[in-house]
Amino acid sequence: MPQGPRVLKSKDEFEGEIYESTVIVEGRDLPTSQPGDEIGKARPRIDGRKRVSGTALYTQDVQLAGMLHCAILRSPYARARVRAIDASKAEVLPGVHGVLHRFNTPEIEFRNEKELFREEVRFVGDDVAAVVADSEGQARHALSLIAVDYEVLPHVVDLEEAISDGAPKLTPDGNIFDAGSYKRGDARKAMRDAAVKVEATYRTSTQMHNALETHGAVASWDGERLTIWESTQGVFEVRNMVRNALKLEPTQVHVICDFMGGGFGAKLGTYKYSLYASLFSMRIGRPVRCILTRREENLAAGNRSATLQTLKLGGKDGRIVALEHESWSNSGQGRWAANPTGPTNTLYDIANVTSTAHRVMTNAGALSAFRAPGYVEGTFALESAIDELAVAMKVDPLTLRRRHARSATDPRTGNRYSLKRLLDCYTIGAKEIGWSSRKAEGTRGSSAHRRRGLGMSSQIWGGGGGPPAYATVHFETDGTAVVRVGVQDIGTGTRTACAQLAADEIGLTMERVVVRLGDTDAQYGPGSGGSVTLASIGPAVRIAANEAKGKLLAVAGGVLEVRADELRIERGSVVSKGARTPLKEILSKLSNSTIVGTGIRHPNPTNIAIKTFGAHFAQVEVDVRTGEVFVEKIVAVHDIGRVVNPLMAESQVYGGIVQALGFALSEERVVDRALGRVMNANLEWYKIPTVMDVPEIVVRFADVPDRKANNLGVKGLGEPPIIPTAAAVANAIANATGARVRHAPMTKARVLEALAMVEA
Amino acid sequence: MFSYARPKALGEALKLLRNGTQALAGGTDLVTLVRHGLARPSSLVDLTGIDGLRGWTRVKGQGLRIGALTSLSDLESAPAFVKLLPIVQQALRDAATPQLRNMGTVGGNLLQRNRCWYFRDEGVPCWLKGGERCFAIDGENRYHAIVGAQECWMVSPSDLGPALIACDAEIEIASSLGKRRMKLADLFVAPKGRERKEHALRAGELITAVRIPEKALERRGAYLKAMERKTWSFALVSVAATARVRDGKATDVHVVLGGVAPVPWRVTAAEKQLDGTTLDDNSCLAAADLLLREATPLRDNGYKVTLARELVRRALRSLVA
Amino acid sequence: MASTRGPNAVDLSLTVNGRIAAAHVPPHRSLLDLLRDSLGLTGTKKVCNEGDCGACTVLVDGRAVYSCITLAIACEGRAVETIEGITSEGKLHPVQEAFIAHDAYQCGFCTPGQIMSIVGLLRTNGRPSEDDVKRAVAGNLCRCGAYTNIVKAGVSAGRSKKARD
Repeated sequence: MPQGPRVLKSKDEFEGEIYESTVIVEGRDLPTSQPGDEIGKARPRIDGRKRVSGTALYTQDVQLAGMLHCAILRSPYARARVRAIDASKAEVLPGVHGVLHRFNTPEIEFRNEKELFREEVRFVGDDVAAVVADSEGQARHALSLIAVDYEVLPHVVDLEEAISDGAPKLTPDGNIFDAGSYKRGDARKAMRDAAVKVEATYRTSTQMHNALETHGAVASWDGERLTIWESTQGVFEVRNMVRNALKLEPTQVHVICDFMGGGFGAKLGTYKYSLYASLFSMRIGRPVRCILTRREENLAAGNRSATLQTLKLGGKDGRIVALEHESWSNSGQGRWAANPTGPTNTLYDIANVTSTAHRVMTNAGALSAFRAPGYVEGTFALESAIDELAVAMKVDPLTLRRRHARSATDPRTGNRYSLKRLLDCYTIGAKEIGWSSRKAEGTRGSSAHRRRGLGMSSQIWGGGGGPPAYATVHFETDGTAVVRVGVQDIGTGTRTACAQLAADEIGLTMERVVVRLGDTDAQYGPGSGGSVTLASIGPAVRIAANEAKGKLLAVAGGVLEVRADELRIERGSVVSKGARTPLKEILSKLSNSTIVGTGIRHPNPTNIAIKTFGAHFAQVEVDVRTGEVFVEKIVAVHDIGRVVNPLMAESQVYGGIVQALGFALSEERVVDRALGRVMNANLEWYKIPTVMDVPEIVVRFADVPDRKANNLGVKGLGEPPIIPTAAAVANAIANATGARVRHAPMTKARVLEALAMVEA
Repeated sequence: MFSYARPKALGEALKLLRNGTQALAGGTDLVTLVRHGLARPSSLVDLTGIDGLRGWTRVKGQGLRIGALTSLSDLESAPAFVKLLPIVQQALRDAATPQLRNMGTVGGNLLQRNRCWYFRDEGVPCWLKGGERCFAIDGENRYHAIVGAQECWMVSPSDLGPALIACDAEIEIASSLGKRRMKLADLFVAPKGRERKEHALRAGELITAVRIPEKALERRGAYLKAMERKTWSFALVSVAATARVRDGKATDVHVVLGGVAPVPWRVTAAEKQLDGTTLDDNSCLAAADLLLREATPLRDNGYKVTLARELVRRALRSLVA
Repeated sequence: MASTRGPNAVDLSLTVNGRIAAAHVPPHRSLLDLLRDSLGLTGTKKVCNEGDCGACTVLVDGRAVYSCITLAIACEGRAVETIEGITSEGKLHPVQEAFIAHDAYQCGFCTPGQIMSIVGLLRTNGRPSEDDVKRAVAGNLCRCGAYTNIVKAGVSAGRSKKARD
């Protein structure tokens, strides 16, 4: 029975936090789907041809007739007051069409501030002015002609300096802000009673996203409507932010992102460059392109906060009885903190837990979400500390974790997990890495001065997705099904996965499915963050496809003069008692009448915790004379519900591990404290992993549909594989050498330092 | 920005090289220097059209001559060359990337400017660029010099430099005034006083060839490099070592360090001390200590001393292995 | 005597994907900007613009180079090949096919550069080992971390007969 629309409360998890919202649902959800011909199969991407032939159109590649180029003047000071700006020389430069700065730009509310250009610029790279010109070269030349009178103010860029007593206060309330605390049981008392105690301080450095396509937008105003091509993880987020800032109606802003060159969280938000491009385009009436340079990308487009974390663990009778965690995160000029204590609060069933998180403001670019924000940093500290406790307790670290990984309920809320296969992940991973042969003191390595060790770490993350999310499916007369969704494919393969889902639901081969996405002319789809895309949009695609198929069968029944319930669709043909009629034959009879199915994402079940779990195992060698770490093998096992496309799922895991290895071993923003300048805002001295840095990677899934989660039984995979790698490597280094490196990245310098401590 | 010429003969090129003009070969460094405003040539003289500066020849008894325009990948991939001078292949294998080695030339590699992030940041008025002080001394200095620095703490970045110096390389230099030869080691200078530059080449001069004496071809060689990741990184520390080894004993030992000083770093007393030894661990470490005796690490680069000491030991040990 | 040209825009001609291309650009214009902005060949990507990433890799006279730090004028009279030029008559190059089959990309932004590096490798080494492929793409960063499959694709393209034609 079709049901009319009704309003419901929905509780959904995003990046580890629970959000409540009001959603409208109609109709009924479908039961969890059965295995089909496409879902669960390794399928190459349907847009592969475009990707390999250079024809995939990225924002950077959009070239429009009459397009102008915008460049941004950025503060050379970490903190300064802009007293005056003289842009007259820039304005008269041939080719220049306009300059925006704080003395000529109308008030625009954006990100809780009243103006686009601050009076007090707060980091090296903060926006001071924007120029639009015929060419990028002219625009950049014009920037050099803008004279700015700065009054330089005291600044602080370093996390530990910012929380020390003598630091300049960046707000009347100081530099340290509460970012959440949590308590269960009585950790202090349990710690007193513990037989074994471990206390340690961990540090993680600032990691920079460095998606290869820098942030950027092309805006084109046609007099009534603004079209923005943007490299974004959320076309609707950009639409809403831009229209709010520029006071336009929803229908007046149209955002397109067909292909995008990586985001990793930094492209979830909306940035000022999109507004400059829009403002200039609306003022001049020509398309305007504003694409950040690599250096700008690394100054002003987000990062993973550096953290300082202290952990105390108490053990007794072979179990962890107390856990205390306090963290400080360098959010730069960001207004939130990626809380590192999430895993501490939820990963293990430990009775007594206390955690406190602090956000620290500094004169550095704002943080942004970076693939499992907080969880990567927190898991490095937590899982390192648990290994330190295991060593002190003389317990195998995996055995110790198993004792705290059995619970079927979320320790924070008491809600039952929809599915939890963490113990399976341990078993599969331990077998694959050869954990049973692990020695507490490590083993000899493959050559002189090398030691070998094994280490592991668990992970927990959300990824359950939720409403609102919509899809439509309609048929073209040639039998092609067209899926339309308001999400974007950020490289995870969303387009291909949607095609698989629709193909199976209808009974088509994938070649007969076309997916249109990355366009706000579709109905709403969520931003691709928090590993929610597939679990949010997939169930809606399935319902839309199911409805379209139902209508098609009814029509086919009429055309073939057979009862609809005696018909089914197989590989693109309507099958009736052995007779096969290609869809094309039926649909071509309809002329322009079109069969359309619509789908809506239904709410998640109430009082059920939908989480992903996993474990990574690392085998490393360490050169004890040079501090060089050789990661030989990573085994990654994840419980993400049903795997839709094993080929793409493996790719996600490879990618998460490679980025995690950068975080673990080589990636670190370096800022000169006196100048406030990022010294390695480039790909030369900011060391992201190369092909030579990649170990053997074994990927396994506890491939079981999470039937309580949604009608596909799927959960997210974007973030889980970046979470546990660094701790697994740190634990393997400690196993190999006895040296505990408590600062990621674990560079040669830091490994040598830790080795020296062991010798001393 | 600049004008451009691509002469076909060396003589023409030398005539074109006057004040404000710079020679362009692979361009891998110069193009980025220009783009960042760190070099402001009025004109570029593209040398790649000149015949006769490419390739290498060996005349038995007279050593090896390598044309300055020879691309790094041509050297690296020529089996006959690799057999003659394997240390060069070892040095090049981890130098930059295949693309950069396809583009980059021997002369350009030796003349590349340093990678200090204060020098490369056009917004920082560092001493080498005519400013008042070196910002690395009390700034972010994990990649900077531990030894041999005076007013500027950058490190010499070339991989080829130390390897060729360890082979007693000389360079042939031409200008419109004539030709001269120079020990390769003398090409590299630590900037000091009014000489705020890294190379001893005079205005209007070009390196036309590198020469390796016959004697050096008889020595064994090894090149080791420590990097921040497994490839495509300038050296944290690199070591080029060569020696004549007979009956397990080493003579004519050369040890040159890269990545630790403003020039490829060499201490002859340390080399002399190894003469006649079996390159045993103790002798190697004693030599390393002598090499680094004057080291005064900055806040963040003390680890380079540990790395250098160990790599010197390993490189030397490998010569007798 | 060689003429000195510039610094204003000069006429130059080079071969791009087998055809003569003419352009009017200043001597400081990079080959990458010439390809993307003057010739509309946007398959070659701009990522760092200083030779630190490999996304702009093209072949010049058959050898892989970074087009962002190659001057367009220095390519006068030379043969440039880009990702757009290796597809012949609508048929994908075996390296392209292998990239699709092995899911050797995620966001796809480094993909044209990776493919050109491997196409360059196959010109001199028709049956590359895993190690050969790794060395060939050691100058191509992939931030999504698709390296494992890129190497698989390179090796398998070499095994496919067509790649060696």
